[in-house]
Amino acid sequence: MKHSKFLRIGAVVAGLSLVAAACGDDDDAATTDDTNAAPSEEVAEYSIAFVGPLTGDAANLGIFIRDGATAAVEQFNEEHDDIEITLEEFDTQGDPAQAPTVAADYVNDDSILGLVGPAFSGETKAVLPTLEENGLVMVSASATNATLQDTVPGGKSFHRVLADDAAQAEGLVKYLTTDLQPASIAIIHDNSEYGQGLAVQQLATQLAETDIEIVATEAIDPDSEDYSAAVNTVKTANPEAIFFGGYYEEAGTLAKQLKDEGVEATFISADGSLDLGFIESAGDAAEGAQISCPCNLATTNSPGALGEFATAYEEIIGSPPGTYSTEAFDAANILMTGIAEGATDRAALLEYVEGLTDVTYAISKDVVFAETGNIEARGIFLFEVKDGEFAPLVATDDL
Amino acid sequence: MGSIYALIALGYTLVYGVLRLINFAHSEIFALGIYASAFAIEGWLGVTGTRTGLGLVGTLLALLAISMLVSGGAALLMERVAYRPLRRRNAPRLTALITAIGISLVVQEFLALRYGRSKITPQRLFEKESLFTFLGEEVRNDKVLVFVAAIVLMIGLDQFVRRSRLGRGIRATAQDAETAQLMGINIDRVVMLTFLLGGLLAGAAGFFNLIFFESARFNIGFLPGIKAFTAAVLGGIGNVRGALLGGLLLGVLEKYGAALFGGQWTDVFAFVVLVLVLLVRPSGLLGETLGRARA
Repeated sequence: MKHSKFLRIGAVVAGLSLVAAACGDDDDAATTDDTNAAPSEEVAEYSIAFVGPLTGDAANLGIFIRDGATAAVEQFNEEHDDIEITLEEFDTQGDPAQAPTVAADYVNDDSILGLVGPAFSGETKAVLPTLEENGLVMVSASATNATLQDTVPGGKSFHRVLADDAAQAEGLVKYLTTDLQPASIAIIHDNSEYGQGLAVQQLATQLAETDIEIVATEAIDPDSEDYSAAVNTVKTANPEAIFFGGYYEEAGTLAKQLKDEGVEATFISADGSLDLGFIESAGDAAEGAQISCPCNLATTNSPGALGEFATAYEEIIGSPPGTYSTEAFDAANILMTGIAEGATDRAALLEYVEGLTDVTYAISKDVVFAETGNIEARGIFLFEVKDGEFAPLVATDDL
Repeated sequence: MGSIYALIALGYTLVYGVLRLINFAHSEIFALGIYASAFAIEGWLGVTGTRTGLGLVGTLLALLAISMLVSGGAALLMERVAYRPLRRRNAPRLTALITAIGISLVVQEFLALRYGRSKITPQRLFEKESLFTFLGEEVRNDKVLVFVAAIVLMIGLDQFVRRSRLGRGIRATAQDAETAQLMGINIDRVVMLTFLLGGLLAGAAGFFNLIFFESARFNIGFLPGIKAFTAAVLGGIGNVRGALLGGLLLGVLEKYGAALFGGQWTDVFAFVVLVLVLLVRPSGLLGETLGRARA
């Protein structure tokens, strides 16, 4: 983003010197102009923007999203000779406080027609009014807060290609009651808005109405390495399953400390833990852990289009896809298909995405947009750690 | 955990005893020790799997030495670069305190920028197994190792300060710096020695912390640092045995607090006890006695 600013300044300087040169020698300047103008008549150039964290604590998540979109863009450009899409990157560090500053950069860049992102719920909330004002369409691959669609009542910009946090708890309850069926469960969370919200407000409340007994509720401090207090309580309560609401680094450390203390219960966590960082930090203790996500993680041995995407992604990016890469691929494809169908300015693309209902080419899941910009599907996906990798376990829609 | 607090607490206590300075950057010395052993495991020693027998003992000792040297060196450097100039100019203690906080931030951000803000997780050195059961609690081999090693180090330090010539210098300086100087003690050397000792122990604590938790993060020093400082106050700051007692006690308190009230209340319980203790004994359990002459 900084680079492009420098480039622009550079271009202005270069332009000025051209003008200066032109004053001296008219003929030369005219010929340069002709050669520059020629190719743009054949290939139409448009940009879409990735908005999310590329540096900072949450950079891992943002990078997977960007790379999912990059894979989509590269494939699209290869298939289309007459259109060239550029993916511009805007790094927000996932920080709601920085998001509006960054937003000014892409909102004022007229070449950008739509956004893949913003990545997180907080930053999405912060910039949605601005997007709405400027008629800029957004398709988030990862923002899951359950109230985002109400940020701007009746707004048109907001879209996302995955179910929200409330759906994740519903899906988890469905999985626990119909498939895994543990007699007892312990709930641990990290006191974050996300972790505690999902584990306590959502999951524990819904589990209270089922036969599964909650035998312990514990919190850990993400700033500490020592989870022995929670681990000991859980060990004493001796549950058949453990649910952790929080992020992958803590999840890894926690899983390891639980196993070291001899706790054998099934370790279950949610999308915040669906990252290779979890397996890395838990080591052997990650084996058999079950992670849920409203996103559909693609691996090279996934069936059908998902597997093809994972293979293509690895070829283009050089590493396997991660959390939300599949969703980012879908989000970018929605925008680019619109552009290919002639929606080549912001207003037209906004209308195009607003008009979409069933996105037949989405590979992550059935993407059918509701009026609000949410998707209709409420199902989530579960993955299991096998041999140090995430393997698909079950989709709650199939239960 | 208590023995790790105690090791760090010793650093606070020594420096405070001699200089009446609370060295808030001490927690970063501890963090540097953790990072040193983390990188030593994978980088310098190239450990790729768990080890057993003599190989394990050798690796552990080498790591302990590396970690202690790095932390000790960092503490010396810190004293030389930041504190000595202040002392030379007779700067008020408040200035030194601010310097300490500044150094702490600098080191933290350095670790964050250089090695990233996310956790680093080095290779596990040995399998953790429970050895025996004590009072209904399973006792794990890594806990025993850390506890025993820490106690040995602490006894070593205690004896060093009480018996050796250099230790006598430290005690004399703590008691009355000016008179000590008149008696031919080189204050600069005593201060350096104090920082070095504190640093070495913090390095050992860092290494034990790593063995125990097998992960490190740029701000890892902060929380144990605060807790260790608390432990030092609890036992009586400026008092070597007080730091020892305070650290172990704090570890035990946390454990019982967690068992009685649940994990979320660990810190509340521990600190409420601290406040109560200080109400009854404002100078800590064993008082401020680093300088007091013991015949």
